Amino acid sequence: MSNEPKIVSFLCNWCSYTGADLAGTSRMKYASNIRIIRVMCSGRVEPTFVLKAFREGADGVLICGCHPGDCHYHEGNYKCLRRYKLLKKYIKQMGIDEKRLRLEWISASEGKQFAELANEMAETVRNLGPANIKDKLDLFEKTKSVNEGENVEKEKMEAI
Amino acid sequence: MEEPRIGVYICWCGTNIAKMVDVEYIAEEVKKLQNVVVSRNYKYMCSDPGQDLIIKDIKENNLNRIVVSACSPRIHELTFRKALENAGLNSYLFEMANIREHVSWVHTDRKEATEKAKSLVIAAIKRVAFHDSLEKRYVDINPATLIIGGGIAGLTAALEIAETGKQVYLIEKKNSLGGNLAFVDLSYPDMNSISQVLDPRIEKVINHPNIKVFLNTEINEVFGYVGNFETKLFENTKAEEILKFGNIIVATGLKPFDPSVIPEYSYGKLPDVITSIEFEKMLKSGIIRTKDGKKPKNIGIIHCVGSRNNKYKEYCSRTCCSTGLKFANQLRDALPDAGIYELYGDMRAFGKGCEEFYTQTSRKDIVFMMFDQRNDLPKIKASTHNRDFNMIIEINEKLSGEELNIPVDMVILLVGAQAQDNAKDIAHAVGISMCGNAFYIERHPKLDPVATTTDGVYIVGSCQGPKGIIDSVSQTRAAVSRILGTIAQGSVQVEVTTAVVNEDVCCGCQTCISVCPYTAISFDPENNVSVVNEVLCKGCGTCGSACPTGAIKSRHFTDLQILSQIEGIMSLELEEI
Repeated sequence: MSNEPKIVSFLCNWCSYTGADLAGTSRMKYASNIRIIRVMCSGRVEPTFVLKAFREGADGVLICGCHPGDCHYHEGNYKCLRRYKLLKKYIKQMGIDEKRLRLEWISASEGKQFAELANEMAETVRNLGPANIKDKLDLFEKTKSVNEGENVEKEKMEAI
Repeated sequence: MEEPRIGVYICWCGTNIAKMVDVEYIAEEVKKLQNVVVSRNYKYMCSDPGQDLIIKDIKENNLNRIVVSACSPRIHELTFRKALENAGLNSYLFEMANIREHVSWVHTDRKEATEKAKSLVIAAIKRVAFHDSLEKRYVDINPATLIIGGGIAGLTAALEIAETGKQVYLIEKKNSLGGNLAFVDLSYPDMNSISQVLDPRIEKVINHPNIKVFLNTEINEVFGYVGNFETKLFENTKAEEILKFGNIIVATGLKPFDPSVIPEYSYGKLPDVITSIEFEKMLKSGIIRTKDGKKPKNIGIIHCVGSRNNKYKEYCSRTCCSTGLKFANQLRDALPDAGIYELYGDMRAFGKGCEEFYTQTSRKDIVFMMFDQRNDLPKIKASTHNRDFNMIIEINEKLSGEELNIPVDMVILLVGAQAQDNAKDIAHAVGISMCGNAFYIERHPKLDPVATTTDGVYIVGSCQGPKGIIDSVSQTRAAVSRILGTIAQGSVQVEVTTAVVNEDVCCGCQTCISVCPYTAISFDPENNVSVVNEVLCKGCGTCGSACPTGAIKSRHFTDLQILSQIEGIMSLELEEI
């Protein structure tokens, strides 16, 4: 396994995902750290998704939506922005550097901007080093399950 | 839930993917995953044999979930969904991993690219396991069509549709029909009168019983969805009437480039520097004169004004070169002794008959000179030395390498095309996207160049990118045939990825109602729960993110599906899974 940071990215279908596609069709090159998940609207990005990404070992999370005023669903990006501002504060309290979470607006024509953003984000996260959330939680859960003699993870999965 | 039996297909896309991603390795690796029954790699999954592979596997191996790892789902998701349907499987039990646009085309290290592609495939596999069958929903189509823009494209569309007996609403922001062509004298390369083509069409549109024309009218907002759109019209800013229609054609055309921003050309400062539009008007009036009322003796025609120059517009405006040739012909006919100079960056006389037109024109004693369009524009300067000319064009002629001064008394600037000022407002009103130059983006640049990502909204003519009459009319007829096709079917399939409330879990807090941009959610006070109107819901999922109890589910983008996808995307070591 490489030591390169992993960044989970949530892109809205209409602007940002199309922008990322454009970066591809224009053969622009960027760091391979970004792994993209498509959502219909940035307003669909639940705080849970971001936390889950960190939980699963992501070193950074990038959310992209349409530019203000351009949302395909009128105002989903504003909803996303509000949640993002709160979430930034929240993850800081949890000991996650707030620079690890970023929200940017990428339109369908901004393939170049997306490629640059991907590189920038990779650089930021690389400088911050590994987030280690997964390792910490894994260790905690391992200890806990040994103590309680049961598989907490399994119970958690069932609860979902 | 039935046990998932997943088929995974990794596409090579010829060498597009296979060159940068080890497709065979990934196909082997994911075989180890739970529930993966079949895993293959194939040269072109979107080809008929590729799709047949999936269909055959579904039948023989009793597969109930399919993952195709190939290009962007924006390109071939529908293709593969159809394949699933052909095999008798619900089309939503499918997921695509984008390993071309998001991997092989943007990365340069094969090992890294393969690792990333693998994680995307695993994510798709983990996600698809939680996909649900969704029932298709059909809505009736209102056979009326709204056309925005009354230029050649809009007029053609209106007549084509109205002739089949269907209602057309044609909206034009100006006070007359015809668009930019209304100013043009002759067409190229055939040199026929434009008004002979345009005027009867305008006449026919105005008098057609199935076409209702709204002049001086702009569109604010369109509500609804394919088959059932609605808008309130504002004529001269007073509310006019409510229109209902099933499809929309956007034919808003282009705006000529304003050359006064180019200092070299002194447009607006020297009175005899005019635009091609102004010269067309002169041609139509039949009198070619300088501002002093004299017959011009030497005329310069400058190409690419505002086009193909990073300072102004990067793109080619496509019609200027042949227009310049047309002007040279018309000038030669009108002024047999005049000096005519074509100053060009590159001569792009493309299209049927146009290269021949260029050759013929060059034999008519017309001087062609080349300049560096990107770095060294010719300069137009006033001259007081001679009564026979009042301007000098300074040009660094590229082919001879000489610096030349051309005496002229008229300069025609072949101004390029740009998007309309209100392009963004229209895009917002009908829900379509624009490229960086504010031209509208088609659903697929090659395979679907007239539709947009919003079902029922089509783009034709120069609002999609600069083009001449032939291309505009062809594109318009293509859009019309698409619309008539859907009208003939009577109903259209709409997205079923709407939100749905689990009433047992809903606590009645109404948070979802406050965030819904479509007022698609209402409150049922009797049962103290939220209720989604599936016709109004467009499936953005904002309510799902806001719901504190997880009662609202965004179909096809459920928490479980996305959380599983995140797990998959982060599971780098297969052994860990």
